[in-house]
Amino acid sequence: MLTYIIRRLLQGVIVLLAVSLICFVIFRYMGDPVLTLAGRYATQDQIQEVRKSLGLDQPTYVQYVRFLWNAAHGNFGKSYVSRVPALGLILERFPATFELATCAILISLVFGVGFGVLVALRPYAWHSRAIMAGSLGGISMPTFLTGILLIMIFAVYAGILPPFGRGKTVEVGFWRTGLLTVDGIRHLILPAITLSTYQLAVLLRLTRAGMREVMAEEYIKTAWAKGLSPMTVIVKHALRNVLIPVVTMAGLQFGELIAFAIVTETIFQWPGMGNLLLTSIYETDQPVIVTYIMMAAVIIISINILVDIFYAVLNPKIRYD
Amino acid sequence: MKKLAWMAAIAWVMVSLVATGPAAAKSLVVAVDSPPRMMNPHGDDSDAGLSYMANFFDGLLQRKGEEGKLTPALAVEWEHPDALSWKFTLRKGVKFHNGNDFTAADVKFSFERLSSPEVSEFLNTGKQIASIETPDDYTVIIKTKEPIPWFANNMHQVFIMDKESTEARDPGDVMIKPIGTGAYKLQEWVKGSYVRLTANEDYWEGAPPIKNVEIRPITESSTRFAALVSGTVEIVTGIPVELYEPVVKNPKLDVVSRPARRSIFLALGNKPGSPMADIRVRKAMYMAINEDEIIEKIMRGHAAPAAQIPDPPTVGYNPKLARLPYDPAMAKKLLAEAGYPDGFTVTLSGPNDRYVQDEKICEAVAKYLAKIGIKVNLDVKPKSIFFPEVAEGTLEFYLIGWFDGTYDMGRTYFKLAHSRDADQGFGGLNGANYSNADLDKLLESTAEIIDPAKRRQTLQRLNKMAMEEQIVWIPLHYQEDLYAIQKGESIQFDPRPDRWMVYKEIDK
Repeated sequence: MLTYIIRRLLQGVIVLLAVSLICFVIFRYMGDPVLTLAGRYATQDQIQEVRKSLGLDQPTYVQYVRFLWNAAHGNFGKSYVSRVPALGLILERFPATFELATCAILISLVFGVGFGVLVALRPYAWHSRAIMAGSLGGISMPTFLTGILLIMIFAVYAGILPPFGRGKTVEVGFWRTGLLTVDGIRHLILPAITLSTYQLAVLLRLTRAGMREVMAEEYIKTAWAKGLSPMTVIVKHALRNVLIPVVTMAGLQFGELIAFAIVTETIFQWPGMGNLLLTSIYETDQPVIVTYIMMAAVIIISINILVDIFYAVLNPKIRYD
Repeated sequence: MKKLAWMAAIAWVMVSLVATGPAAAKSLVVAVDSPPRMMNPHGDDSDAGLSYMANFFDGLLQRKGEEGKLTPALAVEWEHPDALSWKFTLRKGVKFHNGNDFTAADVKFSFERLSSPEVSEFLNTGKQIASIETPDDYTVIIKTKEPIPWFANNMHQVFIMDKESTEARDPGDVMIKPIGTGAYKLQEWVKGSYVRLTANEDYWEGAPPIKNVEIRPITESSTRFAALVSGTVEIVTGIPVELYEPVVKNPKLDVVSRPARRSIFLALGNKPGSPMADIRVRKAMYMAINEDEIIEKIMRGHAAPAAQIPDPPTVGYNPKLARLPYDPAMAKKLLAEAGYPDGFTVTLSGPNDRYVQDEKICEAVAKYLAKIGIKVNLDVKPKSIFFPEVAEGTLEFYLIGWFDGTYDMGRTYFKLAHSRDADQGFGGLNGANYSNADLDKLLESTAEIIDPAKRRQTLQRLNKMAMEEQIVWIPLHYQEDLYAIQKGESIQFDPRPDRWMVYKEIDK
């Protein structure tokens, strides 16, 4: 097991290097930040001076090596747009995205699994068919459409939920949370629902398929024959086994939610990392973009490794060597 | 007894509900389309950034009113004793937000800071300065390296920082906490969420009427609209033309509009041997475009036709210039005369995320030109890729917008119309490499003219030459700035021509 973990970690580092290289090279050729930084009226000489001061006149491989060297020491460069360290800028927004992603994954787990079980038990009831049709909609409808529709219905017409932002937040140490105020929680509802729709639909279908397979197994028939209560049979015996792939899936999606909730954050003006990434791409803020994508890679790789370990723990038959 | 207790309780509740405390301080919630990049007033030269800074800081001068008239701010008087010198007499008794006194040393520090690329985007302004003298605490004499007639016109954009605290603080802190002399202090800035301002009661111009301002930057226009309609904000800036109708129809909202300073135009190269080097071809392209239809259909009526680049308050604006009429038949004839009866092919470039309906305007122009036989290849791209190409001067024919913060056409023309010359720093944004020796000569002669009347006259002549005799550009229209406010809050808001939101000018 230990060798497995070490091997996975090494692979992770290689992936990180590859991602950073690709990112670096692509954004060197996409737009020129120096033009904005030197101001509208700068002469060609002044632009060249700014270019030199940022080290952008060096060949690409020199810049890349310098970037890696600095990154190894924790210095990911200063944002061109805000002139503050890029890593700090991104980490400042991490709590907002983390809270949003966590709420979204919780909603999709609870309702996805719940509905999945419901649908699996009575596949031909009208409510099951309605839920399945709805899940198809959840997978096909794009996030921005869901977001705008929800804002229109709940914020503009009904006026019961706020249309944007995080509301009143409380700073606990360095973590700015919206969960400790009613206002903060109200602001969390619509974006979390928007972000959760796709995952909910996927988990629902996964649970349903798993449940239908498990419910037909021999040991379930034995449990029914033993006269155990429906709750015990469904939850304790069937669901437990179905949950392993479901939770694995949810874990993997969690990493993606944290790193790429861009559309939802833009629609709801949620001050998270995704919003920052989008603005940085428009403004050609290379340090922030490269740092962000590397961080996203780190998060997703770590979550993948953790999920694999968790899977082995849950299912003793799995052996990694 | 119980009944008595109940009645007492009810009475107490009624009294506490009816009794009002002192009137709440006036506050305002505004949604704007872009967030502040930093709290360093020299680090962002875009109007979106300067708009925030104008509330925390003051410049030596400020612009007020419909025409953006230059008026005293931290300087009570200014003179231009000779071609290179500018003398400013400073206001006495002004204090920074931290209590420090405002003196000439702060002015000297602020201007010297403009030349360092790590903290400033006003490099051009900084590098133009040869020396700054402070004969006493309230006089500053700035000498420029070369005569710059419009130097004072720029003073409303250069904000004065406190020397002692800026030098004493960590550069990161300077980026997030502003210490200026302005009408408002920063109460809180939660990045991506809001900026909270509180009034500076000791402001030298008098404390501003609105005591608390909350600015919420919302970049997505439909969300901004939702915020307005749901009543969470009171003023919204930057209403896109597609959302104009729903806002106007809504009985709770009012639209406030004003003609923008920005003009949108097409730039064409004139490489010898290319079709566009012939004045008849340029005229033909001008006359082939139905600008009225563009304004009606694409801009939904929210634009005014332009016959030139500068707007009315700018020195050099020539009221006698008129647009060429829309006449596709004449255009076809001119093309044939010039030797292109079957037209030719050209690539039209433009941004797709910078100006109002920029991509759609490019598409429309391509269609109009196709009707007279000119085949247009559209090359529309994001501004981060488009503007560097303009700076390199490799384009053939492109759409761009412009307005000059210094209200002086001379400065604009040096950047846009003068032949490209990297050593002298001319033609930096002359993206199609337009070159005309006569124009260059006349333009260079204006650099020496300081007398305002003579300057205005010469620039107007230059403008006429550029637009009528040479058709350096095909002007399209001036944009319109649209804002929406909640009715019933009796908000008195007069939009500024430069689109800055200066909250000391707003009242309720």
